[in-house]
Amino acid sequence: MGDAGDGLVMECRDLHKAFGDIVAVDGVGFTISDGETYGLLGPNGAGKTTSISMICGLLEADAGEVFVDGERMTTRSVEPKRAVGYVPQDIAIYPDLTARENLTFFGRLYGMGGDGLKSRVSEVLELIGLAERADDKADDFSGGMKRRLNIGIGLLHKPHLLVLDEPTVGVDPQSRNAILESVERLSIEGMGVLYTTHYMEEAERLCDRVGIIDSGKIVAEGTRRELVDLIGSQDRVRVVASGDLKSAAEAVDGLPSVVEVGEREGGLDLIVGGAASNLTEILQKTTGAGAVVTSVDVDEPDLESVFLHLTGRARRD
Amino acid sequence: MKKVFVIGWNSLTRLVRERSNVFFVFILPMLLVLVLGAAFGGTNDPRVGIVSVDAGELGDDLVGRIEAAQGVDVRAWDSREDVILAVERGQLEVGLIIPEGFDETLRAGEEVTIEFVAQPEQDARALRNTIESAVTEQGALLRAAAFAEEQVDAGFSDALDSATQLAEESERVTIEQDSVGEPFVFDQMGQFELGAYSQLLLFVFLTSLTGSTALIQSRQLGVSRRMVSTPTRIGQILAGEGLGRFLVAMVQGIFIMAGTAIAFGVDWGDWPGAIAILVVFAFGAAGVAMLMGATFSNDQQAGGVGVLVGIGLAALGGAMLPLSIMKIFSPTLWQVAHVSPHAWGIEAFEELILYDGTILDIWLELAVLGTFAIIVFALATWRLRIAITR
Repeated sequence: MGDAGDGLVMECRDLHKAFGDIVAVDGVGFTISDGETYGLLGPNGAGKTTSISMICGLLEADAGEVFVDGERMTTRSVEPKRAVGYVPQDIAIYPDLTARENLTFFGRLYGMGGDGLKSRVSEVLELIGLAERADDKADDFSGGMKRRLNIGIGLLHKPHLLVLDEPTVGVDPQSRNAILESVERLSIEGMGVLYTTHYMEEAERLCDRVGIIDSGKIVAEGTRRELVDLIGSQDRVRVVASGDLKSAAEAVDGLPSVVEVGEREGGLDLIVGGAASNLTEILQKTTGAGAVVTSVDVDEPDLESVFLHLTGRARRD
Repeated sequence: MKKVFVIGWNSLTRLVRERSNVFFVFILPMLLVLVLGAAFGGTNDPRVGIVSVDAGELGDDLVGRIEAAQGVDVRAWDSREDVILAVERGQLEVGLIIPEGFDETLRAGEEVTIEFVAQPEQDARALRNTIESAVTEQGALLRAAAFAEEQVDAGFSDALDSATQLAEESERVTIEQDSVGEPFVFDQMGQFELGAYSQLLLFVFLTSLTGSTALIQSRQLGVSRRMVSTPTRIGQILAGEGLGRFLVAMVQGIFIMAGTAIAFGVDWGDWPGAIAILVVFAFGAAGVAMLMGATFSNDQQAGGVGVLVGIGLAALGGAMLPLSIMKIFSPTLWQVAHVSPHAWGIEAFEELILYDGTILDIWLELAVLGTFAIIVFALATWRLRIAITR
């Protein structure tokens, strides 16, 4: 691990973790620099949360190392944890305490106190848009407000690295946008961000670099452009259809132009080399296999296409 | 250390803030002490209502002699009708009416009749004997005074004073009493003491156990795990959670102890001893609560088990049926009862309250309760460490 001076806020190397016979994380390693937002994308059970747990010092790795601000992170670490703001996927707040009390409680655990804590709590309440409801019990908040408070706790001590584990799950569009704007602002201010999500559009919007994790391994990593280039001049084709989708998927899978096929509810997702010249053949195969096609969308390659290409399956929201 | 208090204080705040806890922690225990005191507490001496209106000096003297007798609860009444009504209603075992002018009539050497009222089915013979002996004692003095008045031509009052003085100075037969066997707890303490210490132990344990649900909720919500992500050592988190449970138990105990002392005049005996019992008992209750909070994954399940265990151990340990009664009817059950920490707590309190013991006299009980607390706390810490770091 380089020193703090090299701009790296976090580096993890060759992390391994197994629960009994199940290997959850198998050699994960990546770095995050100051001001960089790193997205960790992967389907459920891919190892995202286990990786994050080891990075935040919640879980001991079977092998591998994590360094935050140049110091090694373990479950017993104290100093590296001062640099990390952890926002769990679950809303980890006390519902019977007010927003202000929740922030104050965790602020004290981060070693803050006195007027400094008081004013920082007020700042964070403004930042997360809960200043008006500061003295209301968290239990009375909407899901989005609880999510914002959940994030506020992670920001309270001005961490160098903010770790957000699927922070927008179950959030209304307005709150989701507010959360994304906050993350963008924090990144601009120089905070390193580790962001896991199911939502490709969030990753595309926020992340400077993305690591795609599947079955406990990072299968690809890079900027959006670098990842998209991995699949070359391939297009993403979304076929909205009904009927026998399984047979349709099998039928098109045999075509030389079709690189990947994913069956989803209400249609098929395909990665196709040269969609313009091969679309007619694909539709003939689809309808011939018993599916009724309603519409077809052809998109430029994006992270979703990369994800489908690398993991061989459609994203599951 | 500061973070330990932050976590502990947070647990206490959350307990007090819960509205339903205000009733179960503060109101219900006091109500139960009041009800138990009213139902079972207080003296069992038979109540004698005496009407002594304008009965004069000798009337007061007779009332004083009856009051001085052991085993009688004397109460003053204003009228013959009221005292008869009270006996009829069972408010008094016996009524006694000393007539108006009792003093003057006796000094005139005339006979006076005292009216003794009791329900036909009441066994009032013992009471009648007590009252008759007081009357006889006074009668002897009156006869001596009358004799002196007649023989030496002294005034009746002066002769009565001399006779009274002589009676006090003369040697009298005294009876020395030795007690054998265990005293019966109801008869040995004030009206509210039995209810107070038994309810204290019951509620300290019960409140702690039901409070274990807060720890389970913290784990379920991921708050405990989130604490691990802060720069707080796991040892501090465990100590804080333990302190939280201990504070909850202590608040419950101190409230009952102070509340019953102030509201009902409960005498807790030697205060250092009483506080020591509360501290080690609360420590054990907190350990059990933490163990439950670390073991159960469902707060409703834990709440139900907590109530069952809390009430079950209290019942077994003598918080509902006094241990002295249990010992008479089933010595085996009495021995089994000592698997419950409540039994040791109760015996320690009885030593202080019944026998004026001090903290030194209850070292064994304190040692047993302390050992129990250390064992359950060690188990709880081990379990909770696993629960929040796996």
